[in-house]
Parts: sequence; C-alpha cells; structure tokens
Amino acid sequence: MLQVKNIVKYYGDNKAVDNLSFEVKDGEIFGLLGENGAGKTTTFRIIMGLLEATDGVVLLDGHHIDYSITDKIGFVTEERSLLTKMTVKEQIVFYGILKGMKEKEIEKELKKWLKDFQIESYENRKIKELSKGNQQKIQFISAVIHHPKLLILDEPFTGLDPINVELMKKAIYKLQKEGCSIIFSSHQMEHIENFCEKLIILVKGKPVVDGYVKDIKKEYKKKNILIRGDDLPLKELEKIKGVISVTKQKDEYEVKVEEEKIAPKIFQKIKNYNITKYDVTEPTLNEIFIAKVGEVHE
Amino acid sequence: MSNKFWYLTKQSLRKKIKSKWFIGVNIMLALVIIALININSIIAFFGGDFNEKTRILVVDKTDISFDVFKQSIKEVTKEDDDENLVVKASDKTEKQLKKDLKDNEVAIVFDNDEENFVTAKVISKEKIDSSTYQYISQGLNSTKTSVALVKTNTDPILLAKISSPMTTERIVLNDKKSVDENMEMVMGSLFPTLILPFFMLIIFLVQMIGGEICEEKTTKSMEIIISNVSPKVHLLSKVIASNLFIIIQGLLLVLYSVIGILISTKGHLSIDPNVDSLLTATVESGFLDKIITLLPAILIMMLLSFLAYSLIAGILAAMTTNMEDFNQIQTPIMLVLLAGYYLAIMAGMFDGSVLIRILSYVPFISCLVSPSLYIIGQISMIDVIISIIVLIITILVMVKYGLRVYKVGILNYSNEKIWSRFAKALKSKDV
Repeated sequence: MLQVKNIVKYYGDNKAVDNLSFEVKDGEIFGLLGENGAGKTTTFRIIMGLLEATDGVVLLDGHHIDYSITDKIGFVTEERSLLTKMTVKEQIVFYGILKGMKEKEIEKELKKWLKDFQIESYENRKIKELSKGNQQKIQFISAVIHHPKLLILDEPFTGLDPINVELMKKAIYKLQKEGCSIIFSSHQMEHIENFCEKLIILVKGKPVVDGYVKDIKKEYKKKNILIRGDDLPLKELEKIKGVISVTKQKDEYEVKVEEEKIAPKIFQKIKNYNITKYDVTEPTLNEIFIAKVGEVHE
Repeated sequence: MSNKFWYLTKQSLRKKIKSKWFIGVNIMLALVIIALININSIIAFFGGDFNEKTRILVVDKTDISFDVFKQSIKEVTKEDDDENLVVKASDKTEKQLKKDLKDNEVAIVFDNDEENFVTAKVISKEKIDSSTYQYISQGLNSTKTSVALVKTNTDPILLAKISSPMTTERIVLNDKKSVDENMEMVMGSLFPTLILPFFMLIIFLVQMIGGEICEEKTTKSMEIIISNVSPKVHLLSKVIASNLFIIIQGLLLVLYSVIGILISTKGHLSIDPNVDSLLTATVESGFLDKIITLLPAILIMMLLSFLAYSLIAGILAAMTTNMEDFNQIQTPIMLVLLAGYYLAIMAGMFDGSVLIRILSYVPFISCLVSPSLYIIGQISMIDVIISIIVLIITILVMVKYGLRVYKVGILNYSNEKIWSRFAKALKSKDV
C-alpha cells in the first residue's frame, strides 16, 4: 500500500505541492489529475524518490521510499523514456537489471509480454524503428517487467489505437489482480472514469477534489437531463430557474441543471410532447474537472 | 547497488566500443597512423622518393674549385646528418648539361674571375628546396674563400687550417638548465607528437561522457535510471566507463603505431636513418632521461586529468536539455584544453616567466604544461608535484559541489539559460 502523507514541496518560493495526502491500497487504481503544471510530475518524482519533499512522508508498504525500495516501483512517464538506439531486448534488459532482475529472468518475462502485446517479432528491432504505439508498448513493458508493487502510469495510452488501448487495459487489470497499486494520470477523463475507483484533482499543487469517483459524481449537484422528442419547448425550458443551458447533441437535447430537484420541473414542461427519451444523468468527470479547475482560477 | 554500478559501467563501455563511430574512427586512425609511419614507402610506391638523392654536377673551369666545393658540401651536410647530396664532376659543357639535366640534378659551373677570384652558376630544372640551396650556398662561399687563398698563394698548411671546421666546445654555465640546443628540436618536433594523442583522448573523453549523459537526458530515460541508482552511482559509472574507454583507445593508438613500425621495417626492428637521427638527438638532449624520470608523475597527472575532464564534462552535461546545450558547454572545455596544448608547445618561449610557472599549476592544463616545462628545465619536480596536488584538490571540490549540480541538473528540463541553471543548481538545497 502506498501512503502519501501531507507532502509539501517548494521550488524556491514556489509551492509546487501543497499538503497532499492520499492512499492507494494493494490492487487499487487511483487517479491523479490536474491541469498542466498542477504538481503531478513533482508528486510522481517524490513518490519515486527522485525528489525530497519539503515536508511530509511517502511510505510504500510502511517503508520510506529510498533506493532499497525503488525496485518495487514501475513508472511509465508521459514522454517516452527509451534509449531509441537500443533494440527492444537490450532496452528491457537494461531497465530490468536496474530493477534488480537477472538477465535470464528478464528475457523470459519479455517473451510473455511481447506475446501479450502481439509484437513478438520486434524483440531484436531497434526502438527507433518502431511506430509510436509500439514504442509505447515497450515503455509499458519496461515499467512492469519486474512485477512492481506500485505502478505509476502517466498518460499510458498516448499513441495507441483503440485495439492496443484494450490490450494495455487488459495488462493493467492483470497487474491490478496481482495486487499492484496503480496511480493513473491522464487528461483523457473517460479513461480515468473507466479505471479509477478513487481520484484526486490537483490545482496549483492543492487537492480540490478527493474521493471515490461515484461519490464525487453524486456530490456534484449539477446534473444533465437528456431528452429526445419532437417540437420541444426549448425556449420555455431555458427560462426555468435553475436551468444552466439547453444544447442540441445529435438527435437529442442536453439540459444542464444546477441541481437534481429541477428535473421534475423540466419533465412537467415536456410531458405532453411526443418524447421518446428522458434521462437524468450524472455529470461526466470531464465536466467536474473543468468546473473545479475553473472555480479555482476564477 | 554495487551490481547495478558495475552493470551501468559495463553497459556504458560496451555501448561506446560497439558503436559504429568508434569502429569507424579506429579504422581511420589505424590507416592514418600506419600510413604516416610508412609515408616513405607510400611515396615511393607512387613514384616519389623521400630519400631521393640530389646530384650536384660540377663543371670546373678553375681546376681547383671542385675538390674544395665537394669537401665543403661534405662538411656542411655532415653537421645535419644529411646524406642526400652527391657531388660529382662533370665533363659536359654547360650547354650539354642544361640539355641533359634531370629533375634531381643541379649543375654548378665554376669559372675564373679576375676581380672575384671565382664565380659560379647554379642551374636546375625546377626550384631547389630551401635546405639544399642553403647547403649549396654555404659550400659555394666556403669554396670562394679557399680558391681566393690559393690564388693569393697562401701557405697550403695554413690553407688547410683555415678550411678545417671550427673546433668548438659547448659549455652551459647554468647547471639547472643542462639542456643543449638539441632540446629545441626535440620540443619542436617530438613533444607535440607525443602530447597530441593525449589531447585527442581528452576530446574523445569529453564528447563521450557528455554525449551519453545528454542522450539519456533528452530521451527522458534519465528519470527511470535515476529512480533505480543514485546520481552519484550514475555519474561514477559514466566516469569509470569513459576513462576505461580512453585507456583502451590509447592502447589501440600504441598498437597501430607498433603495427606501422613493423610494416615499415618489414618485421625487423631496424630504424630509418631519419628516425635514428631524431632518436639520437632525443637521447643526446636528455629528453629521454627527463621523460623517464617524469614518467610516474606524467602517468598520475594524465589519469587525474582524465578524471577531472570526465567529471567536469559529466557535471556540465547534466545541465543540458538538448545537443545544442551540450555543444555550448563543450566549447569552454575545448578552449581550455587548446590553450594548454599551445602553452605546452610554446613553453620554451616563456623562459623564466613567472606566469608560465603559475599556469603549470592550473588544473586542466597542468597535465600538458607541467611536463613540457619540466623537460626544458623551467620547473622542478617539486612544481610538478604541486600541480598534482592542486589537481587532486580540484577533483575533490568537483566531487563535492559537482555532485550537487549533477543531482539537481539531471532532472532539470527548464528553459532557463544553461549557466543560470548551473548557478541555481549549485545553490540548491535540494540534495
């Protein structure tokens, strides 16, 4: 289990991380979100032991993070961290040995992973000759070859097509089943919604949203009502107090309301029309992210 | 951690040795060194001759000039061990000589002159090289003197005494500078050749360590590496690998030279007369004695200098974010090295200067300047030892403060100017 307790990090006078705390249990996937420059990379670097926090502690299975424990951590960086002149095998062996593995063990594991990602023939190809998607797969393999106890994934799906995204998702779930704690960071909120049970949204190093995804959505008052029907009184709907906006989306309308109790009033207005759909939905994580980050900037 | 250190060192060394650059450069170096050592044979193969003798054909209308001239030429060339001038009498007329003259022949026509005793015409097909012309001029002047003395009926015994070379005894009063003038030749020709490989190896070293660290940084693989080994272990592995690499490269240069010499002598270690004369001058000048006395100090200084250069290159490369940055940081290192190289070659010009003595203590150039000054007798062994001590202190300071910069620098990708990043890293408490 990873425990991040009240970490603070200053760069000169600039506070990059402000009293951040969270826990990632074994086999849990945790989302760490934030706009660019919110402090995610600094947090990852502190967790990896690359930077020392100005204050606070980070514990992995109860131990402070140092070079005796970093072998248990895997990290997929946002930008590819591969030595492109090496072959796939050389690269994985290089990182594997730095993680304390033996060369034979690495080669055995590599074969399995290459098979899972359907790129067995690339074992002796130079990394620079591979496509971006395949390089991303190699980067992922290099981070998990040693079966880490903690895996940090910073934009892991970059450059992958939908088929390969599914392959990688499978791999991530496999590691989750093995009990690996996973921290997931992405700007693609649908991935976060799919993967993470818990998340934190950072703004200027400070957590502004923190908790289980379902609770965050529930607690977020604004709701969306999706309506499909003919000749709907859109002007009248817009006039109802508590309605934020009415927008057309393909063959239906999305009515954003400030709170759930506005929904019956909407229904009253349209019940006599020919409606084929009326659905009150939770807001998307993307909406919550934009709203929360926006609030702080305002 | 020790396994990871040795793995990183091995990996770094293997990467350098297996690189196409290394193989390509070594093929070129081997060819160039072997070719330079065998340049005589190569020139001969293409129809030229480095040792081609110049024939001086003499038409003597005075009847007494030929013997004197031949003797004079023998005397002047003997001083320089030059056996490439052959003087022969010719019975051809001037017209015939002009017609038949070959490229490697010079014709001299001596004629009587009422006023100047004797005159000479020097005829050649092409321009005569400057050293040959100098010998001929000296020979002619000497001939004129002798002919004049004969024509004025000077006593033959006295004439022989006048014509014989000056008996000289060379005495250097300053015992500390017990170096004869041969040393100038040695310092001018042999020393730059000896320090050139050292100069080249340092350039290789700086480029290797800097390039590798820069590559790991720009590809962002540094974060992964540094999360598994400490920056100290990382830098140390690069330093050791780069130093081992250039030691291997240095040994390869020696090997290419030996191969070149073996090819040149066709397996027999007989020495070319030109090389032999340089070696004789080297031995006579005391250069070899000095080098042998200084050898342990030179080796220590070389290894320490390699270490210092690799540390500074590694530390500065840690601040780079791209190859342009790396080229920028390489420039001052190269300029310092170049300054050291030229100071070492021109050391003799600073005779007695305090400045050059101080410069011989300056780390990064002391490895080049110190041995040079010691050999020409401008500094003593104590000064060389002081240079070594200063170098060791510099290395220790670099390890202490450089590691601070390295640790902060390798994860710094900011857009600030490189030297500003360097200053901030030096002040950083984040270590």
